[in-house]
Amino acid sequence: MAFLNMFGKDKERPTAATADDRLSLVLSYQRSDIDERKLKQFQARLIDLCDDFGYDVVGQVEIRPQSRQRDNTTVLKASIPVRLREKGENEESAGL
Amino acid sequence: MKQKSVAITVTSGKGGVGKSTTVASVGLALAKLGREVCVMDTDIGLRKLDLMLGLENRIVYDLVDVVEGTSKLRQSLVRHKEFPTLGLLPAAQTRYKEEVTPAQVKELVDELKKEFEIILIDSPAGIEGGFRNAIAPADRAILVVNPEIPSVRDSDRVIGLLESADLETIDLVVNRVQPNMIKDGDMLSVERVQNHLAINLLGIVPEDRRIIRSSNTGEPVVLDDRSLAGRAFNNIARRINGEEVPYLELEESSLINRIKRIFHIA
Repeated sequence: MAFLNMFGKDKERPTAATADDRLSLVLSYQRSDIDERKLKQFQARLIDLCDDFGYDVVGQVEIRPQSRQRDNTTVLKASIPVRLREKGENEESAGL
Repeated sequence: MKQKSVAITVTSGKGGVGKSTTVASVGLALAKLGREVCVMDTDIGLRKLDLMLGLENRIVYDLVDVVEGTSKLRQSLVRHKEFPTLGLLPAAQTRYKEEVTPAQVKELVDELKKEFEIILIDSPAGIEGGFRNAIAPADRAILVVNPEIPSVRDSDRVIGLLESADLETIDLVVNRVQPNMIKDGDMLSVERVQNHLAINLLGIVPEDRRIIRSSNTGEPVVLDDRSLAGRAFNNIARRINGEEVPYLELEESSLINRIKRIFHIA
């Protein structure tokens, strides 16, 4: 199998690169001391915030802490799939 | 007190990464350089340093005996016959870590500083009482890490604990490095490990089957000229001694080795 891999078959991403990504993630979690419950609360607040600004959250909210080595800090990256609410919907939800 | 005596705690968080091997090897290498060195085993109940240095038959008293006043410090110290500037303060084998407090260990190390220039403290695995005993007297620390996620994550946690204990000088030893695996993309590189942990790199030690042999025979690899790990530990000792020593070239370059690797023979 290793012989075949030499010719470019079955090429996979190096496990060290994958491990490096995993390590970044686990260290970020550890350094930021973020527990799952806290993240869930954070997600809920983000959804509320989107709602306040007229966005409907239409998918899974993801929050990924990432380690920034330059200044040894944690960066929280949030991915929030949203759709802008129609004007009529906005007024309705605002009770107008 | 010896001028500028220093207590260095060798720690890791995770077990089995090579702390005791590092302490025994670097301790002996420093003694070879003529330094007065004491290696101190704080892994009470699970001592190892005596075996690694081939001194297990000469232990009468141990660290707990000194703390309890059953013996004097000098009676508990075991001197190496070939390198008499090296002393071992063994841990008790049939007692518990809780029987000693950090303050008592610190007091003991202060006593040792009167006789030795360097005190290398072998910390037990984990971050509980034994770890706290080992870091209490430390002036600086050496963190031994294997290039794998569980070891690096634990080390990152330990760095936080060392920093909160006001230990500012923390050096990194990356142990059990396999250059072939790094080259194939199957092992984290030393550079990546150092970048993640962001501390000073003191040494890189390759995986070496002679290490297992040495712990069975009680002769540290620093006495074996053919051992690459032995050379790496000797270099670490020289760096602690203040010399500037380049890192070892670990890459295997012979054609036979490359062919062996391709066919998964090596």
